[in-house]
Amino acid sequence: MSETVGIEYTKVAEIKGPLMIIDGITKASFDELVEIESTDGERRLGKVLEVGNGKAVVQVFEGTTGLAISGTKAKFLGKTMTMPVSQELLGRVFDGLGRPNDSLPDPVADRFIDVNGEPMNPERREYPTSFIQTGVSVIDGMLTLVRGQKLPIFSGSGMPHNILAAQIARQASVVGTKEDFAVVFAAIGVQYSEAQYFKRSLEESGALRRSVLFLNLADDPAIERIITPRVALTVAEYLAFDLGMHVLAILTDMTNYAEALREISAAREEVPGRKGYPGYLYTDLANNYERAGRIKGKNGSVTQVPILSMPADDITHPIPDLTGYITEGQIVLGRDLFRKGIYPSVNVLMSLSRLMKDGVGEGKTRADHMEVGNQLYDAYSRAQEVRALAEIVGKAGLTGVDLKYLEAGDLFEKHFLKQNQDENRTLEETLGRAWEVLSSLPEGELTKIKEKNVRQYYKGKQ
Amino acid sequence: MQLMSSNSALERTVNKVLSEKESDLIAQIDSAYHESMNNLESSRESIESEYERIIDSAKKQAENLKRQIIGSTRLNARNKQLLLVEGAVNEVFEKAKLAMRSVGRDENYKQLMNRLVDEGLSAIGNDNMIIECNKTDTELVKKLTAFTDRQKKIKLALSEKPIDVIGGVRVRSADLTLTYDGTLDSRIERLKPLIRKSIVQMLRGES
Repeated sequence: MSETVGIEYTKVAEIKGPLMIIDGITKASFDELVEIESTDGERRLGKVLEVGNGKAVVQVFEGTTGLAISGTKAKFLGKTMTMPVSQELLGRVFDGLGRPNDSLPDPVADRFIDVNGEPMNPERREYPTSFIQTGVSVIDGMLTLVRGQKLPIFSGSGMPHNILAAQIARQASVVGTKEDFAVVFAAIGVQYSEAQYFKRSLEESGALRRSVLFLNLADDPAIERIITPRVALTVAEYLAFDLGMHVLAILTDMTNYAEALREISAAREEVPGRKGYPGYLYTDLANNYERAGRIKGKNGSVTQVPILSMPADDITHPIPDLTGYITEGQIVLGRDLFRKGIYPSVNVLMSLSRLMKDGVGEGKTRADHMEVGNQLYDAYSRAQEVRALAEIVGKAGLTGVDLKYLEAGDLFEKHFLKQNQDENRTLEETLGRAWEVLSSLPEGELTKIKEKNVRQYYKGKQ
Repeated sequence: MQLMSSNSALERTVNKVLSEKESDLIAQIDSAYHESMNNLESSRESIESEYERIIDSAKKQAENLKRQIIGSTRLNARNKQLLLVEGAVNEVFEKAKLAMRSVGRDENYKQLMNRLVDEGLSAIGNDNMIIECNKTDTELVKKLTAFTDRQKKIKLALSEKPIDVIGGVRVRSADLTLTYDGTLDSRIERLKPLIRKSIVQMLRGES
């Protein structure tokens, strides 16, 4: 922490949306933290976005509502925004800017880390190969999360992505190792009731003591949302690479983050890109997502599950579209399944975990894991085709094998996919259920599984 | 004779019917018995599996509850400790501030003040500035500003209104648009997180 004291300026030239333009600037630097003091003594934080010609454009995190041009003071603090970090952060709840939100004092810091983070050196990256158990069958069985992976959840408005996020946060663990595991949960622009749900859910399950929560509420200033994922990922990196923990960072909802970016971009009168989002949306998202990973020679890992709600369920919308380019797969929630009352309503046919193959199998999970996942995918895909066919020709027009696929599809949804919100399934249980679904098919249909595994686990009629 | 033979035929027929009926009944009883035994066996299996399911679920619930209770108890204890430590830290701060107010203005303090004035003047960089300090330091600041050659190049005034601070100076441009806060209060506030860490380490016996 620098000892230098910043200069306070009182010449506010203009206030435009979330931005404040200060005149007469002699010393300021890009990204420098600014403390704004309103005429009634209220203090807010901001950062320098642009500087030059004696002016500085400051983005005010808490918004500019109530700030006047005359009488407002802006103190340039001579440092970038930092987050105090230590092991004491575990079990704590903070607001979107990293300030305590649990009536407890500021954490005593081991270090102060710049929240903007540094990109992980690609040369030092280690390929992710170890399994994280979420206790959710469809994820563990078919879309396995691997330590160091970034696997987003694409959802839609009104769908239970936050419930799923909270369930993953409560249940996630690294199995078969005594290494420490932690969850960093960043709620970005969520409703008060949802924030309370996350907090209560972690408290009641006893998972809060290994978690750090950052809560930016829907009625908090939108600009604060720019900082929330950065602060959360800074803490995640510290826990992972300084303390050697395996950290799962859940960021929900990244759409709100992108909206905040758009708001600032519009206020700065930048040339808009697709749907008004700034042209640098891709780079900005990548700066956050690429903070996940493992580093050679270090024990810990940062695994990211960003959650984003697709406006109008449109997967081609810029936010899911660009996210998909950066991340290693995606979990897509389907509205049809949601309407059928199936939780979690994961549309497995549109979902994929690109790193699953490297994190499962003999010595990691179970020898038949990948094959079972592939076979389930294949069977459910066929069941969907048969469903469509049955709507046209009727069940009477289907072959015996088609009817078996129809049955397997129903069993998949009711027995494997469907799960209670507080049901934590072990991997053995998940694979057991998967085999029950596959055993409803004739043995000859299991073409993606090695014979020895079929002999060991298949329970259907020979 | 005829009657005797017809009786015997009737008797044979009756016996045959009875025997057939008996066999039927025995077969039915056997089948019902086996069916019942099978039902019993399958019920036993399902009852046993149901029993195991209930026991498993109860064990899971008990485990969850145990984890929850241990987790929240540890967290509550830690949080209480944090509050206690914070109370002690604040007390140390207050006492330290009181002690600083009454500290003598020795040579070290003069050097510090000289450095703060230099920093302030160079940060603001105007040719017309105002310096503010507390009542105790007024004479010292007057001397510091008078004996330098700064006055030759710039217009420097000492504010007539003293400010309520522990020590240090505040330098402002004459038009009051720029302020450099070099007071000890602002420095303490700025360095508070680092000082807190040292105090907490001392309280915990870590240093």
